[in-house]
Amino acid sequence: MSAVTKFKENKPEPVAYSEAALRNNAVVVEYCRTSMAALSGSTAGVLGLTGLNGFAFYVFAVVMLWIMFLVKVGPHWSKYFITRQSVLTNGFFGALFTYVLFWTFIYGMVHVY
Amino acid sequence: MPELLLDPNIRFWVFLPIVIITFLVGIVRHYVSLILSSQKKIELIQVQDSQVMIRARLLRENGKYLPRQSFAMRRHWFNNEETGYFKVQKRAAASQNPMTDPGMMTDMLKGNLTNVLPMIVIGGWINWMFSGFLTTKVPFPLTLRFKPMLQRGVELAYLDASWVSSASWYFLNVFGLRTIYALVLGENNAADQSKIMQEQMSGAAMAMPPDPKAAFKAEWEALEITEHKWALANVEADLLQSNTE
Repeated sequence: MSAVTKFKENKPEPVAYSEAALRNNAVVVEYCRTSMAALSGSTAGVLGLTGLNGFAFYVFAVVMLWIMFLVKVGPHWSKYFITRQSVLTNGFFGALFTYVLFWTFIYGMVHVY
Repeated sequence: MPELLLDPNIRFWVFLPIVIITFLVGIVRHYVSLILSSQKKIELIQVQDSQVMIRARLLRENGKYLPRQSFAMRRHWFNNEETGYFKVQKRAAASQNPMTDPGMMTDMLKGNLTNVLPMIVIGGWINWMFSGFLTTKVPFPLTLRFKPMLQRGVELAYLDASWVSSASWYFLNVFGLRTIYALVLGENNAADQSKIMQEQMSGAAMAMPPDPKAAFKAEWEALEITEHKWALANVEADLLQSNTE
């Protein structure tokens, strides 16, 4: 190398993500979320929650699931997810639809007739 | 206790069957479409074309990690006026109408057979068999706007908007069970009909076979104007510097 070569600033090591692994993690999280929505929807239906209580219960279930994820991955969450928030917010409304369906279904089965 | 008394028989002979029928029809549709789906036969020349395109793109994007001579050599292989791959290969301009392609027609027919037909048949059957029932009540208040959506088939002006008629309960199930299908059948299952509907809207543009001639020409131009800038010029110095730190 010639003497005029300028040394660049030491950049932070670039982080490489495996696309396939990220997608697999997202799929697993999605499965858990769907199961959670179905189960908590059924629970809300059996309990006979109505109105805002039911939606509050959904938010509670989502947050609980998030906390369970965080406990499961432990301190090395950055090995599995890019951000922790995305685990909380991804698919929030998609799962809400499932939740409402199960909630309505079980509520109808148990409380309406 | 809700303000309306429903016959408990409705629960077991209308409400529950609709859920089960919707779910099982989705499962059956998935497997029927698996049976009917034909393996798309791929021409060898198409694979070759796409692989060449990928190689050319990789060379354009990552050529900076190659020495100048190696880069020029590879580009030469693609772009030489007499012997370059993009110049030598002659591909017929793809301008065929998908309607004239019998294979494409069969695929479209099968798609319609497995998706549109069951929806019409089952939806019509549910409407005929279970029409006129109020099945359930959504456990949250809704505004009057939702009345036509949730009370299809039951036109009662003074009924509270949160009551759901049987036809609407069927549609709620059709759209709500999609995530459950993903859980039961795995991703990319064929049971989900709302995805199919989206595909039918946007699918025409994507299903069109790419024109290799135009693609080759575009790639040739892109490769021609690519400038080789060696990224590893300072690599020894960088390495030594990082070692001394």
